Amino acid sequence: MQANAILEVRDVTKRFGGVTAVNRCSLALAQGKIYGLIGPNGSGKTTLFNCITGLERRDAGEVRFKGARIDGLKPYQVARRGIGRTFQIIRVFPELTALENLLVVTGGPFEAARRRAEELLRFVTLDRLGNEYAGNLSYGQQKLLEFIRVLMADPELILLDEPAAGVNRTLLNELLAAITRLRDQGKTILIVEHDMKVVMGLCETVFVLDYGEKIAEGPPGLIQTDERVIEAYFGR
Amino acid sequence: MKRAFIAALGVLLVALALYPITATGYGIRFMLQLFMWVALAQSWNLISGLTGYVSFGHVAFFGTGAYATGILVATHGWHWMPASLMGGVAGAILALIIGYPCLRLKGPYFAISMLGLNEVMRVLVSYFEGLTGGGSGLSLPALHASVPIYYATGLAAVAVTATAFLIITSRFGLRLMTIREDEVAAEAMGIDTARYKLYAFLLSAFVPGVVGGLQARDQGYIEPMAVFPLLTTITMIVMALFGGKGTVWGPALGAVTLFVFQELVWARFLYLHQVLFGAIIIVVVLLMPRGILGILQQRYQLPRTI
Amino acid sequence: MGVIITPAMVGQVVISGLLAGALYSMVALGLALIFGVMRVINVAHGTILMLGAYTTFWWFQLLGINPYLSLLLSMPLMFLLGVFLQRSMVHRVVDAPELSSLLLTFGISIALVNVTQYAFSSDVRSVEFLTGSFLVGPLALSKSRLISFAFAVGLTLFAFWFLQKTKLGKAIRATSQSREVAMVCGVNVQRIHLYAFGMASALAAAGGSLVAVIVAIQPEMGQVYTFKSFLVIVLGGAGNYPGALLGGMLLGLVEQLSSLFLTTQVSEAVAYVLLVLVLLLRPTGLFGGRST
Repeated sequence: MQANAILEVRDVTKRFGGVTAVNRCSLALAQGKIYGLIGPNGSGKTTLFNCITGLERRDAGEVRFKGARIDGLKPYQVARRGIGRTFQIIRVFPELTALENLLVVTGGPFEAARRRAEELLRFVTLDRLGNEYAGNLSYGQQKLLEFIRVLMADPELILLDEPAAGVNRTLLNELLAAITRLRDQGKTILIVEHDMKVVMGLCETVFVLDYGEKIAEGPPGLIQTDERVIEAYFGR
Repeated sequence: MKRAFIAALGVLLVALALYPITATGYGIRFMLQLFMWVALAQSWNLISGLTGYVSFGHVAFFGTGAYATGILVATHGWHWMPASLMGGVAGAILALIIGYPCLRLKGPYFAISMLGLNEVMRVLVSYFEGLTGGGSGLSLPALHASVPIYYATGLAAVAVTATAFLIITSRFGLRLMTIREDEVAAEAMGIDTARYKLYAFLLSAFVPGVVGGLQARDQGYIEPMAVFPLLTTITMIVMALFGGKGTVWGPALGAVTLFVFQELVWARFLYLHQVLFGAIIIVVVLLMPRGILGILQQRYQLPRTI
Repeated sequence: MGVIITPAMVGQVVISGLLAGALYSMVALGLALIFGVMRVINVAHGTILMLGAYTTFWWFQLLGINPYLSLLLSMPLMFLLGVFLQRSMVHRVVDAPELSSLLLTFGISIALVNVTQYAFSSDVRSVEFLTGSFLVGPLALSKSRLISFAFAVGLTLFAFWFLQKTKLGKAIRATSQSREVAMVCGVNVQRIHLYAFGMASALAAAGGSLVAVIVAIQPEMGQVYTFKSFLVIVLGGAGNYPGALLGGMLLGLVEQLSSLFLTTQVSEAVAYVLLVLVLLLRPTGLFGGRST
């Protein structure tokens, strides 16, 4: 067990019928760093996210957040502990306005929440569109909205599922800058990504999954040359 | 714009309050029924319009309230006012008991379980004959004036509409809507969807219970088939849909429109009336599932509070 | 209760349960097809059964021929009705939220029931064809129920053979498992929907014809069968066709057994209570279906 690990996944296994999506996966995240989680399609990355956030019940293993076990908690409880996540397919609330999408997240005094929401909208230059129904926004705008929605609750650990997917270059750079700024504020970030440039450029440590198992872990440079990783992507 | 609307609303309420002075017995009965439908459609909207969980047996709360009130009045001599409120409480308790497990079910299964609930209640009521008079029904001592019931039912309709307004303009309401939009995402954002669903469900069951009790008092006689019919549930659903589910005024609009139509136009042609109703249902579902206000909202980007 | 229950009574009840169960299974299979292939909740299923029953009634009334032969008319007739309904209206609510299909099929049901009431009046009809029972030891097997049972079993087996062995049947099963994949494999999904709805309606009609010789016929008779078909599907698991069979038998048995201990009124309720219980405890069905 790593001291100061904000998130610890120990031997987590998840099966769906006959398929083992995640197989005795273990990883530890230290606070205040950016991590990457990569692997070929179907290697269990999103399932692992789901196990961490309570969307799926793991069949075996433990998940610890700041030392306390969170496996077995319901998703909203996990979220309230300080873990936020985005989804592979954008899941904003289409019939709520952008502002409302943000407002539903926190409790507390309405005015304070609204100010924070407006601040976040400004942060990603969506402030003109606050009263627009989220369903009417463009793909990129929705992506940004989902991103700041996660930040609304001020989570300590942020799980991003393919934040770069379908995003144009300018927007992407904005997002990456935002992520870096979050890390500088002390937040821990775990990113699932297929875009290798993003991963290699942003992440300090990268985990590689294949068929639900962790096959490699280390800094991007090392991962790129790791034999098992190359085999996983190209060798089958 | 808003001022004019509020003023118009005020005038309407005053008019409705003064109506019994000049109205005939038939007129009062008519308006009373109208209030009932508004209350029912609005109540259904609170759970199904907002959270998307289709309560397909909502009349179960109406019937339960009717019987609770009926028993209190007929057997225990309660006055109908507190008895009707207890009818509402009975509805809410039923919602609590059944909602807690059933709201965990997904879409179609929840709908079917509500249908099952309705039938179970109907049969239960028939079974406990000693308490409820079983199949032969329950009679209440005669009441010779519908006017107090008129006001009470009207009050119920106003109350539930006001509740809808308060909810839809609050964060509570927004969170209910996230359940409809994307329940998984809502949970991931820290919203305890199970609790919110239950609250909405309880709220949506209370007024039908009260209104059921008031109807029992007004009709003076209730029997299982009369207070648990699927058609009542369908009617309140179609009314809410027609006007626009998920909006504040939609269900009221739908209730008024369809009820007036029904009374004035269709009641003359008995069989045709039912077939027409079936046709209306089909038309609403296929051509205007968002309802009148829903369509207007989309077209003209109107605020949600209409 | 002061009633002594003999083995003969239990045997009688079990037989009655199986006889009734086969009919439930067959009709429920139809509903399962519609739900499995199109995700549509067809509240009008029992109404089509009712129309099948009326077809048999008029067949017997006007032609005087063996009512069981009316299957030759009621099934194709209702198949066509089913195809028509699907083509004109139901296809619009495939994949829609469940409220749409619930309401739409309910609207269709109301319209059909009331047209029937208008055309044939609400008078209760019956088909008096086979009366009496075969006596096998201490058990009395009602002749009409037995023959209906035989037909139901035959038709159900045929339906299963059809689903398993014929090209169309396999296409139907494929579509109910995964529409996208079926499309990619060249299946004309729109047509499959038509066939599925038609086939389901034919099964419902067969059910109607077969019960026409047993129970009273009136326009509202369908509702209870719709409900029981729902229950069977819930018991068997959505999309699980063999499960529907087992579910139907189970329902038949449970109903008859409970009538031993409870009044008939309450044994009606048993179906409903069973439905709610299964939904709460095993929503994927007792025999393992798949979740929506």
